[in-house]
Amino acid sequence: MIRLLRGEFTKLLATRLPLWTLVSAALCGGGLTGLLALIGPENATPPLPGLDTPEGVGIVVGMSGLLLFVPALIGTIAVTGEYRHRTIGTTFLTVPKRGRVLAAKLVVFGALGAVYGLVSSLFAGLAVVAGAAARGSELGVPLGDLAALLARLALAAAVYMVLGVAIGALARNQLLAVGIVLGYFYFLEHVLMIVPGVNVIHPFLPGGATAALTDFTFLSDAIAEQLPIAAASTTTPLVGALVLLGYAALAAWLAIAIPLRRDLR
Amino acid sequence: MIILTVRTFSLLSFEYATEGIRSMITAQIEVSGLAKRLGSVEAVRDVSFVAAPGRVTGLLGPNGAGKSTTMRMLLGLTRPDAGTALVGGRRYRDLADPTGTVGAVLDLAGAHPAMTARGHLRSYCALGAHHVERVEQVAELTGISEYLDRRVGSYSTGMRQRLALATALLGDPRVLVLDEPSNGLDPAGIVWLRTFLRGFAANGGTVLLSSHVLTELQHGIDDLVLIDRGRTTWTGPLAEFTERGTSLEAAFLDLTSAATASVISDTEGIRA
Repeated sequence: MIRLLRGEFTKLLATRLPLWTLVSAALCGGGLTGLLALIGPENATPPLPGLDTPEGVGIVVGMSGLLLFVPALIGTIAVTGEYRHRTIGTTFLTVPKRGRVLAAKLVVFGALGAVYGLVSSLFAGLAVVAGAAARGSELGVPLGDLAALLARLALAAAVYMVLGVAIGALARNQLLAVGIVLGYFYFLEHVLMIVPGVNVIHPFLPGGATAALTDFTFLSDAIAEQLPIAAASTTTPLVGALVLLGYAALAAWLAIAIPLRRDLR
Repeated sequence: MIILTVRTFSLLSFEYATEGIRSMITAQIEVSGLAKRLGSVEAVRDVSFVAAPGRVTGLLGPNGAGKSTTMRMLLGLTRPDAGTALVGGRRYRDLADPTGTVGAVLDLAGAHPAMTARGHLRSYCALGAHHVERVEQVAELTGISEYLDRRVGSYSTGMRQRLALATALLGDPRVLVLDEPSNGLDPAGIVWLRTFLRGFAANGGTVLLSSHVLTELQHGIDDLVLIDRGRTTWTGPLAEFTERGTSLEAAFLDLTSAATASVISDTEGIRA
């Protein structure tokens, strides 16, 4: 297994993917958060709580959770790239035990996802602190609390990259896999959130679990204000984390088990 | 210090010994009664042949005859519905050191365009647990040393074929399986490949290569396996095949798709 991890890691480093991962992490983490912090949430329409309140910090930092499809896409594109560029044949010839190949990929991309999460959170943290300082306002939460929130976002990023890898391994076709990732996170989950009755399962969907993990109920609250339905509830951060890890484990298991018997043509 | 020296010496002699044994290890390819249905098409119905060490065996048949599917079943990429395909008496996926035993060049064998050839070879070297020095050695063998640090995206088809062969050689295998290896090679490249494969077989290696181009195999192979519509229609030394009195081309056409019912029964007679 060690040699497989080394092999997959060597393969990853031989592409430009690690560079793009770092760049997109910095942009997604720092960019959106920095912009919101500089504009000031109280100047948004409708006005949101300011950065000097815990809610304001939560919204500004939690917004970057909406960009979690980015690490998922990175994982998806990396794995489907093996099919697109027809290297998967050589990979399975080198390691005929395909489950091990997928397991190694999941570990390597889980690590890359953690790096993505840490870089993204670091830049988001810097952006919110710098934004508050630039506007001369006090930060609404102690730095320790901010760091804890950012760490939870980093965990979510790692899980999303693993989910992306699993979806890619199952779908194989790059366009199809990207479509599934975007379609689910951008469309299907939001639809499920507003369907009365169905939205009780929202806390146990990946997006709902992420919202619980990061205390980010802004979207579901906003939807509840606009529609005559009860807000989709969220669970506690711990349950959210467990649900997310459960999804990652399930997706990983499927991604390891299903390609075993498939014919490569 | 003395102990250290003795250890080094014994290690060297051990390596020498295993190298000596290794060059004697040969592996035969045995395919028996293979069948595979792909969707509604019976791609392979009944394919049986042996490719022996020290010989170059050509798998010849028209497009769609089942050559690639046969090779993929041999290499464990596709599961046969029936029959067996063994290398050195084992299924590919049961080999202890797959890429150290069999090197394969398939049309599936691509490379990531953003990687350099060195990055590609290093990755598969690590994945196959082969010594990293092999990267330079296989590049030298296949004549791509100068282009190792270029991105694969800028490679011509011929260069990609050489890179695919280099990848197949990383584990210093005793068996080579090549699917249409001449595709994209220029005439000089084809001659080079033929010479390379002859040398490989002369050292005790087993070579199985497929082609749908008759003239390509005419000069490069020892044994011929004819395959048509998923069945082996003739196997044996190339010399015997051409001794049948007709030209190779006429014999080929007789034994493949152009054949009439009477010729097919004739073929069955020849095989029996």
